[in-house]
Amino acid sequence: MDSLGYLLAALTPYHVALAIGGVVAGTVVGSLPGLTATMAVAVLIPITFSMQPASALILMGAIYTGAIYGGAYAAILLNTPGTPSAIATTFDGYPMAKRGDGDLAITLACIASVCGGLVGALFLLFLAPPLANVALSFGPVEYFWLAILGLTLISALSQGNLLKGLIGACFGLLLSCIGVAEISADVRLTFDSQTLLGGIETVSALIGLYCIPVLIDLVATPDRHLKVENVSRGYRLHEALGISWRNKFNLARSSVLGTLVGILPGAGGSIAGLVAYSEARRSSKQQGSFGHGAPEGVQATESANNATVGGGFIPTLVLGIPGTPPDAVILGALLIQGVRTGPNLFTEHGSIVYVFIWGLLIATVLMLPIGLLIGRYAYRSIVTVPKALLVPTVAFMTLIGTYAIRNSVSDVAIMIILGVLGWVLGRFGFSASPIVLGLILGSIAEQGFVQGWIIGAAAENLWGEFFGRPISVGIFAFILLSLFSPLLLSRFRVKREMARAD
Amino acid sequence: MLTTVKRVILAPLTAALMLLSAGAIAEYPEKAISYVIPFGPGGESDITARHQQPFFKKKFGKDLVVSYKPGGGGAVGWAQLNDMPGDGYNIMGVNLPHIIVKPLQKDVGFKTNDLAVIYMFHYTPDAVVVTTDSQFKTLQDLIDHAKKNPGKVTFSGSGKGTANHLAQVTFDKLAGTKTTYVAFKGTGASVTALLGNQVMGQWGYTSVGAKHSDKVRLLAVAMEQRHPRFPDVPTFKELGFDIVSGAYRGIAVPNSTPEDIRAKLSSLIDQINADAEFKKKMENDGFALVNVDYKGMQAFMEEKRKGYVAAAKEAGVIK
Amino acid sequence: MPTELQSRDTGGMIVAAIFILIGVLALWDTFDYTDADSFVFPRTVAGSMIVFCIALIAWSLVRPIDVESRGAESTPRRVGLVTAMLIAAVLMPYTGFLLSGLLAFAAIVWLAMYDPWTRGRLIVYPLVGSAIVLGFYFLFTKVLLVPLPTGRLFIG
Repeated sequence: MDSLGYLLAALTPYHVALAIGGVVAGTVVGSLPGLTATMAVAVLIPITFSMQPASALILMGAIYTGAIYGGAYAAILLNTPGTPSAIATTFDGYPMAKRGDGDLAITLACIASVCGGLVGALFLLFLAPPLANVALSFGPVEYFWLAILGLTLISALSQGNLLKGLIGACFGLLLSCIGVAEISADVRLTFDSQTLLGGIETVSALIGLYCIPVLIDLVATPDRHLKVENVSRGYRLHEALGISWRNKFNLARSSVLGTLVGILPGAGGSIAGLVAYSEARRSSKQQGSFGHGAPEGVQATESANNATVGGGFIPTLVLGIPGTPPDAVILGALLIQGVRTGPNLFTEHGSIVYVFIWGLLIATVLMLPIGLLIGRYAYRSIVTVPKALLVPTVAFMTLIGTYAIRNSVSDVAIMIILGVLGWVLGRFGFSASPIVLGLILGSIAEQGFVQGWIIGAAAENLWGEFFGRPISVGIFAFILLSLFSPLLLSRFRVKREMARAD
Repeated sequence: MLTTVKRVILAPLTAALMLLSAGAIAEYPEKAISYVIPFGPGGESDITARHQQPFFKKKFGKDLVVSYKPGGGGAVGWAQLNDMPGDGYNIMGVNLPHIIVKPLQKDVGFKTNDLAVIYMFHYTPDAVVVTTDSQFKTLQDLIDHAKKNPGKVTFSGSGKGTANHLAQVTFDKLAGTKTTYVAFKGTGASVTALLGNQVMGQWGYTSVGAKHSDKVRLLAVAMEQRHPRFPDVPTFKELGFDIVSGAYRGIAVPNSTPEDIRAKLSSLIDQINADAEFKKKMENDGFALVNVDYKGMQAFMEEKRKGYVAAAKEAGVIK
Repeated sequence: MPTELQSRDTGGMIVAAIFILIGVLALWDTFDYTDADSFVFPRTVAGSMIVFCIALIAWSLVRPIDVESRGAESTPRRVGLVTAMLIAAVLMPYTGFLLSGLLAFAAIVWLAMYDPWTRGRLIVYPLVGSAIVLGFYFLFTKVLLVPLPTGRLFIG
């Protein structure tokens, strides 16, 4: 069958209906804090038993991509990433919503998500087998340096006081150690408490640190949650398209970065968003506006995290190695159906893979109208619902959502306590984002370092292990660039101004 | 006074409950059973439970509803198992060596004997895995290389105190080699490290060989007999090393569950294991079925405990 | 209007001191680990945290910071919100999720209410609130198959 045939097979009413249903369900699930794409896909597994593999993949792919986009709503409107992938969306999305541009931010997020999703899916369509090797080229040391690159964002996120940002990040890194250690199985920092044994679950920590402080402040004053203009401005699609066109390079770069990070099995949507955000900020002419409602920040994250969907499928389908956590579930569902992944899948089972990829592309395109529509509804309801109903609804959502992640009451208690802690620390100038950064990157950094050290020591070449591998050196160069480019740039600017003054 | 009142109220209640449970055996299961996996979705514990799901529905007409309670390498789920209602409709997956080794390391909220394990339905045998382009063609190649270069042969594996790790320690002892074990988070990450040539080999499972059959070669499997999926791969026993090990998976119930329901559930799982199609699917994925039912559980656990504890002490994961 | 004035960052120093304590506790905990792999990272991090905290305290002693004064805000309502949520979390295993969720919802409606209670609101808010709680409860238990706690008190 040629590619037109595959496209037509993906365009059957049944498949289009699956794509629409998947995107709608995914967007709703993603917008609820605590419900992640992984969970949405896992719930679907029994349903997919009775489906053809290609149809099952289309449904799961559509839910997955919808959920990653839906995570932006809560990030923009409530400062709470609906899924971990949307962490960096809060950095600029929420400030935009605060000043009354929430509708614009959501439309921008939708456009960016579609762009990212398309780029990721196109890479999957055309370059999957060669790109899959990226997944294998990243060893422990590369992950270690990637985590450190992510940590360089601290300086951007600590809002004025770098020392406080560093302290917060260390605290977050320590939080990531709590519980039974993932690889060494030691019980750490629980102080014999059963509640802490399972560790701090990332999503519940995100909900606590980001959402609870917002609720605490909402309840304290009669002011409205978000600033609203009285005139209805519709979708602001025209304005958003204009901004997107002006930032086309940002969108393209973030989408490619998102695809590449998506391919890496040890990283995921959250890392993709953070790396793209960091790069967008570094290469921007107005670094100062980042963190205060820069549209570029929202665009970078949202395009990157949706690009991980297509990117993550690359190693999943080619190597049988899941690129992201939802991919692990999808891979399991395929295994149970008796579908063997591998390079053969592309050559011998094209009717499964290519129909699925076209289906994913169709679902991504459909996300534009569907996302705009649901996004507008979400914005309207958050803005118009009276405070006395908004606060309890969001509070209830945090409770039920946190519980649902691991079916654990301990996580709910930890979420609330971290929320109070986040609020108190915020009062003293310690912002939540460095803590979150530490928490997310902690286990990647630790495992990468320990494994790299053991391998390096076994080969009696520690220096070569950490500084001698080409990709490590590349990432290391980026770390230096992110750390010192603000300094160099400002010196360059001073020189130029002096030259101009002469 | 109070106690009499209590007794007056409680006596009929207990009687009613007993009647209820007696009625329950007749047609157990009457409704869907909640099957909690103490790990995240997508892992082998999930996948094997998902394999059982359709067969359970087909044979007994009721659903197995899989949900997840990950955390602490399974400890969070197991610590809460006995708080669940013991009505036969709440069951949980258990894994060996986890439930034996973990409680010996530190207080993790449960003891091995607290868990009412009613069936062990399969195990994933340990195996030494290398990539197809590896310099090691046979296990002997690897041993020779390791003897010449002590400490330089690196193996990836899933976690510490796990089946992989304990097998590596046992093997080093039996073969008189010194190799380096690099623990990764889960089998998925450890396979990725192998395929990316970050390490020279992997202490993995037969399921790795099945899943990545085009890219990896098994040098030996830790089974009594050769695995039907890999008729050309020798067992460690054939090569002179007494290693039969792997990760066992089974099902436990809250310890308040009545004996008759435990026995009944055990026979239900047994019927799934006896299904030829189920067996074929599981073996095709590299798993090996075992049929340890409720009656034989105590003896089985006792035997496994001895082996695991000895290896874990050797590995230094328990004092 | 928030006005700005300069003052010593006493709050920041106190927080830094608490973090030093946390760091020391963490360091002390690391001496308990059986595996060499598991203490390298937490020790490094806890050590760095202590160093950064000491630097922050030293810095704060010499440099004043800008302090914003805040408008009228209600601390009792804040405390109430957190308490209501914590009570809901603690009660959950005993009363079941539905009941504790409804109670928390009702309490927070009352806490977040700044408008007068008209008769219309008295009727509409409880109805809408129950609908939201029940709706989510149904979505989570029946569609997403989340085993929400049903409550030990009622099962016996």
